[in-house]
This record gives sequence, C-alpha cells and structure tokens, in this order.
Amino acid sequence: MDYFFDKPIANFATRRVEAEEKVTGKGKYSAEYDFPNLVHGVFVGSTIPSGKIVSLDLEEAKSIPGVIDIITHQNRPEVPGLKGDDAKFMFKLFHTDNIFFDDQPIALVLAETLEDATYAATFVKAEYSESNFNTNFHKTKDSQEPEDIMAEKGSLESWEKAEFIVDQEFKIAMEVHNPMEPHATIANWKDDELTLYDKSQNVYGVQSQVAKIFNIDPDKIRVISEFVGGGFGSGLLVWPNTIAAAMASKHLNRPVKIVLTRPQMFTNVGYRPESWQRFKIGADENGKFLGAFHQAKHATSSHTGHTDNITGLTRKHYSFPNIKTEQAQIQLNISKPTWMRGPGDASGAFAIESAVDELSEKLNMDPVDLRLKNLSKTDMYGKPWSTNYLNECLQIGAERINWKQNRKSIPGEIKEGNWNIGYGMAVGFWNAGRKDSDAAIEMKPDGSIVVRSAMTDIGTGTGTAMQNMAHTFLGLPKEKISIELGNSDLPYAPTQGGSWGLSSLSGGVAAACKSLKTKLADYAYGSKFIKGQGNLKLLKLDAKGIRMEDDSLEPVSYESIFSQNNIQVINIEESSSPGKEAEEYGFCSSAAHYVKVKVNQLTGDIKVLEMVSVADGGKIINNKAAANQIIGAAIGGIGMALMEEQKFDNNHGRLIGNDLAGYHFPCNADAPMIDVSFIDKPDYNRNPAGAKGLGEVGIIGCAAAITNAIYNATGKRMRDLPVTPDKILMA
Amino acid sequence: MKPFEYHKPQNKKNAIELAGKTTMYISGGTNLVDLMKKHIHEPDKLVDLTEAISSEITVEKNGARIGAMLSNTALAENENIKTDYPLLSKAILKGASPQIRNMASTGGNLLQRTRCPYFYDTTMPCNKRNPGSGCSAIKGFSRMSAVIGYSNHCVAVHPSDMCVALVALDAKVEILNTTGETEIIDFINFHRLPGDTPQKDNNLPEGAIITAIEIPRNSFNSNFEYLKIRDRESYAFALISVAAALVLSGNTIKDARLASGGVAHKPWRWSKAESFLKNKEATEENFRQAAEIAVADITPLKDNKFKAPMLTGAIQQALLNCLSNN
Repeated sequence: MDYFFDKPIANFATRRVEAEEKVTGKGKYSAEYDFPNLVHGVFVGSTIPSGKIVSLDLEEAKSIPGVIDIITHQNRPEVPGLKGDDAKFMFKLFHTDNIFFDDQPIALVLAETLEDATYAATFVKAEYSESNFNTNFHKTKDSQEPEDIMAEKGSLESWEKAEFIVDQEFKIAMEVHNPMEPHATIANWKDDELTLYDKSQNVYGVQSQVAKIFNIDPDKIRVISEFVGGGFGSGLLVWPNTIAAAMASKHLNRPVKIVLTRPQMFTNVGYRPESWQRFKIGADENGKFLGAFHQAKHATSSHTGHTDNITGLTRKHYSFPNIKTEQAQIQLNISKPTWMRGPGDASGAFAIESAVDELSEKLNMDPVDLRLKNLSKTDMYGKPWSTNYLNECLQIGAERINWKQNRKSIPGEIKEGNWNIGYGMAVGFWNAGRKDSDAAIEMKPDGSIVVRSAMTDIGTGTGTAMQNMAHTFLGLPKEKISIELGNSDLPYAPTQGGSWGLSSLSGGVAAACKSLKTKLADYAYGSKFIKGQGNLKLLKLDAKGIRMEDDSLEPVSYESIFSQNNIQVINIEESSSPGKEAEEYGFCSSAAHYVKVKVNQLTGDIKVLEMVSVADGGKIINNKAAANQIIGAAIGGIGMALMEEQKFDNNHGRLIGNDLAGYHFPCNADAPMIDVSFIDKPDYNRNPAGAKGLGEVGIIGCAAAITNAIYNATGKRMRDLPVTPDKILMA
Repeated sequence: MKPFEYHKPQNKKNAIELAGKTTMYISGGTNLVDLMKKHIHEPDKLVDLTEAISSEITVEKNGARIGAMLSNTALAENENIKTDYPLLSKAILKGASPQIRNMASTGGNLLQRTRCPYFYDTTMPCNKRNPGSGCSAIKGFSRMSAVIGYSNHCVAVHPSDMCVALVALDAKVEILNTTGETEIIDFINFHRLPGDTPQKDNNLPEGAIITAIEIPRNSFNSNFEYLKIRDRESYAFALISVAAALVLSGNTIKDARLASGGVAHKPWRWSKAESFLKNKEATEENFRQAAEIAVADITPLKDNKFKAPMLTGAIQQALLNCLSNN
C-alpha cells in the first residue's frame, strides 16, 4: 500500500467547480450543442408490444415541409452490428420488422426543425400483425421455478424448524430512472470519424460499443458527455437514440440530434424491474440468526436479458451460517430493464430488512439490537472487512432520532387525533469497489494545472472532488486547479456507476499528482533532491512555486523551472489499478436509516416526518456533495416506499400514464429535512483517498425503514411497494 | 401539433364572432396545449381570450364575482377570497403546481378535461376522445376512475379541485353565448355525467364563453376544510377530495356543505349527507353517519374499491377538521 499521501483529504464543503457554468447555462448538456446544418430526429414508437410490422405508410409524413428523410427497417443504411445472428445491440434497431416491446422505435423522422420532425412523426402509420403477448409479471411469475444463483451455504434443513421464523413474500413495482436531463445524442459523422455528444455515465463504454456496432476503430469515435443532468444508472448502457443518431448522421452526412421525449424515457432507457421476493429467516431464542432463504423473481425483456441480483445482499451484511438464494428472471414482452440506483440490493433490502424487523418483534428484541448482534465480521468469502462501521452507523442514527426514548415497541401507541405515529429503521450495504482509472495533469508556467479524466460527473460532484484531492495531494491552491471531464479524448475512466467512480478516480489523480511532484523536483533540484517517498512528501506546491516543508532546499518558482528548462508546459499522464488488497480484505460502504412517520387511520394518508441517515463512505471528500448524494437517495427511498410505480395496461401490453404527471416521485412537500451524517474514517486499503462509494448505499434499506415505521404506527405490515394511501386502508 | 391560426380579440364581441366548429378558445393553455401536442384537440383556429374577457374580482356584501380570466394563483391569494371564501382558496392551492396555477384561468379550470390515462393515449380506445371506440378504463386501469354517476361508456372523473369548492359554495357560471346573450348556469348543473355521450364534459353551449363565476354570500368561512388524499403532496390528482363547510350555532350544525372530487365525471355534492347533518350536533358520531350516508350511494370499480373506505374516512376527517383546523 502506498501511503505517500498520508494526510487525510481536506473535507471542503465548497461550491462545485462547475457551479457557475451550471447556473448561468454556459455548461452544455448533450442536446445543447448547436451546429449549422443540424438535423432533428424524432422516433416513432410501436403501438403494440409484440408482432411484426406489415406495412408502413410514410407518404403523408414525408409531405410535411421540412422533412428530409424517414429511416425505417425498409430503407435504413445497413449497420454491420445490427444484422445477423450475433447482433451487437439489445435488438436489431431498424434492421428487423419484429416488435419486441411497446414504443419500440419503428421509424426515425429527420427534419430541419424539431417541430417539423415532431409533427411529421404523428403521420407515420404502421400496420402490424400482432402476436400474443404477455406483460403481466405477477400472473406469470409462478410459471418458472427459481434456481440457485450461488452455491448454497450450509443447509436449509438445518434451521427451517427454528423456534423463531419469519417467512414472507414481498412485491415491488416497476420504477423508472427519469433523470432531469432526458437521454439525448448529437451524432456528427465527418469522413470516417464520428463525434457523439451523448448523455452518458460512461464515455469509453459508448465509444467501444458504438465501434462494435458500426465495425469501426474505437479511435475514430469521440464521445463527449461533459455535463450530465443525472443518471441513476440509465446512462450506463447505449440506447437506441445513440445508435440511431449515428446511423442517420452517416446516412445524411449531416449532424443529427435525437432527444427522447419524456414518455420515451419510460420505454427506451431501462428501468428497475417489477419484482417478487420470498424471504425466510430463522433465529434462536437469543436472536442469533440461524439461516436465510431468499427467493426472488423479476420481470425482464424477452428479446434481451437482464438480471438484477436481488438476493445478493443476503450474503453480505449479516452473519448467516446457512444461506440459500434462488432467482428467476421472467421474460415478458417489455422493454429492457437495467441497473437503477442500488440495483438488486435496493430491492433485496426491502425484503431482508422488513423480515428482520418482523423477527425482532417475534423475539421481543429491539430491532437495532438484533441487527447489532448479527452483523457479519467478514465478507461472503470469509475475508475480514478492511473497514466496516455499520455498527457505528446504527448507534449514531439511534442517538440522532432518540430511538430508545421515542420508539414504542408496541405498534400504534403514539396518537395525535386520527394520526398514528411510528418509528422504523433499516440498514443499507454495498460493495466498496474500485476499478482501473487514469488521470492526466497539464501544468503551465504560472503554476496553474488542469486535471483531466474521461469520468463523467452525473451531478455527484466528481470534478469538485478531483479538485479537492489534487489540492490536498499537491498543496496547490484550489483556484489554480481546473478540471476537465466527460470526454473520450481524456485519460481512461470506468463507468460512473456501482459507487466506484470516486474510489477509482482517486487512484489516477494520486498517481498523476505524485508524478508531477517528481517531475518538478527533478527540474528544480536535479541530483540535490534525493528521490524517495520521504522527500516527495515534504515537497509542496504553493501559488508561486515549489518548496520543501522542512526548508531543506531553496524554494523554486514555477517561472524559473519553466524558463531554466526551456519548457512551456508539463504534461503528466498516469494509470492506476486496484492492487491485491481485495485478496486480503472485504470492502463495503454501509448506512443506517431511521424514520418517523405519521399515518392517518381514517384516510390512509402517510407523511414522513423525520429521516436520519448515517453513512460510512470512508473518508468524505466533500461534505456538501456527499450529503447531497445521501439526501437524494433518501428521497428516492421515499419514492420507492410510497409512490413510485409505472403501471401497465396488460390488456394492451402497454405502459399507461408514462409521463411525469402519471408517474409520481416525491416533491419537496413529501420529504422532511433529512438529517445526514458520516462516519468519515478513511479506508486507505481501498485507495489513496480513503474514500468509499456513496452513490447506492443511501437508497438501500430506505424503503424498509419507512414501511417498518408504518408498521410501528399502524400495526400493518406493508409488503407491496409502493405503499399508497389506498393500500393502508385495504390492509 | 397541427398548425393553426391564432387570434387575440380585444373584446367579447370579437371573440364570439370567431366561434366555429373548428375554433377553440384558449386562456392559460395549461391543459389545451398538452391536448394539442397529443393531437387530441386539433383546432384550426385558436382564440386567445386573455384580453377579451375580464380578470377582475369584486367581493361585495351579496357575494363575489370573479372574472373568468383571473389566474388561479390570483384568485387563491386574493385577500377578500381568503377572508370570505377561504374554502375556495384552500382548494385551489391543493391543485396542480404553483407554475400551473400562475398560468391557469378561473374559466379554464372548469373546462379542463379528464386526466384518465386512456383519454391521453390516442392509440387506445376511449369513448370520450373517440366516441364509439370503447372504454379502456373499465376493464383496464380503473384505480383513479369514478365510483358514482358513471356509465358503461365512460368512468372518467373531473380533475379539478377548485370546482369541488365552487360546487360546495353554490356558485353560478356566467356565460356569453354566440348570439351575444348572457346566461347564468348553476354550477351544479354546469358539468354533466357521461351517459352515452361522454365526449361532452359540460353543458356550455357550443361557441359560448365563460365570462365570470359568481359565489353568493355565505357563512362558510369559519368552519371549513378542503381535504385531498393523493399519491404525493403536490402535482397529483385526488384519489378522493372532500370540500366540507359548516355553519355552527354553538355545537349545532345550522347548515352544511359536502362535495367531492375524484369520485365522478363532475364535482359531486353529497346532498343527502348535508341534509342529515342539518340541525344535528357536530359530533364524531354524526360525522361518521354522514359519511356512511354519502358512501352508501357509490359503486366502486374493480381497481378502486378502496375509495369506499377512503371516502368514508376523508369525509369524517374533513368534518372534524372543520371544527379544529381554521
């Protein structure tokens, strides 16, 4: 382990590096780049979920002034990766007459203005031969038996007759990401080079997948996602808008822009699939967990796969001597689901954490104490945790909401008129991952630097964190450090997903900072400087130049370094990879969520009155941005628990009410002030910053904390999300 | 959106002259523009009424008169309305979002169309949008649908909150018909039930314009409540809403008003329950009985059986809040 940067990262709750660009509108999101000659593309979606296109009538649409062309499966330019048996995309976009899901793009109308394209799109008429279809998850799920997703640990038989057992079923509705910025692409194909301005969480991923689909060298593709207005996982994959824009730009030899409409955001960029779970847990009379049996089934598309690892969490945060986990993915005539914030675990935690709450009641134990008693000391492979502060999260959260005094163990004891008040809690847990990541630094003679990475910033404050890290690693004042992100010309970065973004990137930034220091020392002191970590640690960059903290060498100005050595710029690029630490340790982030709710016994109305989240994300690099993540996740948890549900009309096999009026997520009035705190202890085994990811852990367990609080208020166990007021009354 | 002619007449007379089969009037446009974007309405001529029709409000001793172009925000925030007709103000503020209320007009609020999701999806059957095509909601998603006054042709509900308060407050709608005459329609008769012509939402004669809303003077400004049960706290339509208002003498109910949104094709008055409450004591038990009288008349659909207990509870809670909330 390289302890080169042994000082903790300063926790700067400063404004974001991109704040001014965002609030003044200077920062450009993918759809905001302008080109003379820009063509606007609008998708026409299928109105059936399954079947074949028999005929298309484009005549009227083509007659609309401004229309340039309409791409369909009948006239599309051929794209190598979209035909044949080994198509390189989730379905053969415009290369098949088959319909796999409601609102599948069947035509792309290309026009001089967005208005012309939108209007003309309404005249595209398709005739279909409809096939039988099935979009009904709950009616279909019993047709398929779940299978082991990992080898069984111990045996189910050994504990299934335990004295204390909870065995329940849980349901969660389909949820959509719908970040504020809709998915959008501008593709500009010039000669044999393609530039994509694409809403993405992964510029290198877009580059490599588009290269495969078009069968060209990835180096010929440039992907720019400089500003990203939220993601939640929908930006991890390449979706039809990117492929279609590239196809159309090549076809017309003009730049082409496609912006998905809000309803298309429900049908073409993934979602959290509807799920069913059974969770059985057993304990002895002392509350020691004996075993867990977790079954899960979720909906998926029949034309391409997706697995949410819903049962994965069962092997992580508690210590179960016996574990059996089984899953099944139920294929339906629906669009492709994908990872959504806390994928798998957010769903799984609802079942696990609800069942643990129910078990605590059977045992007549406090649910916090029951959890503390059963936290796992190792990861699922038996490795010790590098750092795991879930116990502290639990204790601090309990203090902050005054759990012991406020919460009554008997449901419905606290009343205000027809309102019942209740307290609930649950925990979240997530692997603290790290991936390969590079970074570059460019230094100018005035001592200013630009730190560069291809990583996107989906609103999490990545750029600001990079500035904080570079400032701490080098000593250089922050105003001298600028950041460039979100471009495939920049050094390699992994996806911004899975909560590994900052953890990975810190390795690249640290390596580049170390390399810059070495280079500056070489230029300034040559052989006088004894190379080695000790001395490098003492080397500091200030506003004007470099110096040794122990004054062992004379300070040297940047100006003289650059002029003496006759250089105009210093360029550094370094790589970083996780080391062998994952062979020795388990890595995790964790959180404890505490909630106070009130539920009206007459009307079923539910109000979340207080939320306390305490998270362990290792060293916190920027308090404001980190708290922002946890607040956003907690509000996502309120949505998951109380209102988010995309509904199907199974008679037509189609979504209904798929817009932001029909699909409810919380507004400010639904969320209390959220009390966030962090353990803030570094894990230097993981990366040089000591930071662990925070993106997912805030939402995992939130829904169960809320439904556990509803139980404490009403005595009603709500196991079917979302818990809308009608469900309270009918329970 | 289909191309259209845009007119902005400066007075009522010129506005009426533009009436025609393919003409539509627009004020705030908060619903109509969506409907035009979705090709549910495709007017050839759009007549902007914002300068032709009054947005003045006067509150005098015999009642209030509200110009049809007054914005929902201005109406809800008007000091005289907040003092004399606070139920109306409260109902408006429970509807839509601040941005929409800023744009939406009083007259337009009455004329907004149902939010039944099938009405908005032009590729699915809907008798209100496309008469004779069938009702997708009856066998499909009927959670938000009506529980009273519906027909085999349509189970949609009227979405307004403001209108629930107006029907409770015995408002009247002043209209100008195409022959230039002013007519008054009792609010309770303005909207209609679907029957076999669900495409008609109301009894406004073709080409006529709503010019004002009148509310007679009443004493419902001390004990009132507008309670809205919905899936989120703002920008969500009612699962059930209840406008309740009482005139009390001591603890005796001298007069009562009860109306609901989220139950029918029109804002619904619970007259039997109102009569029951008159001259009764304002007790929890009487409120419960009033709620049961109202709920006895409803017939929920397959997805909205919850509306029976929810309506029972909401009426009781609203009446209780009349005694304590204000």
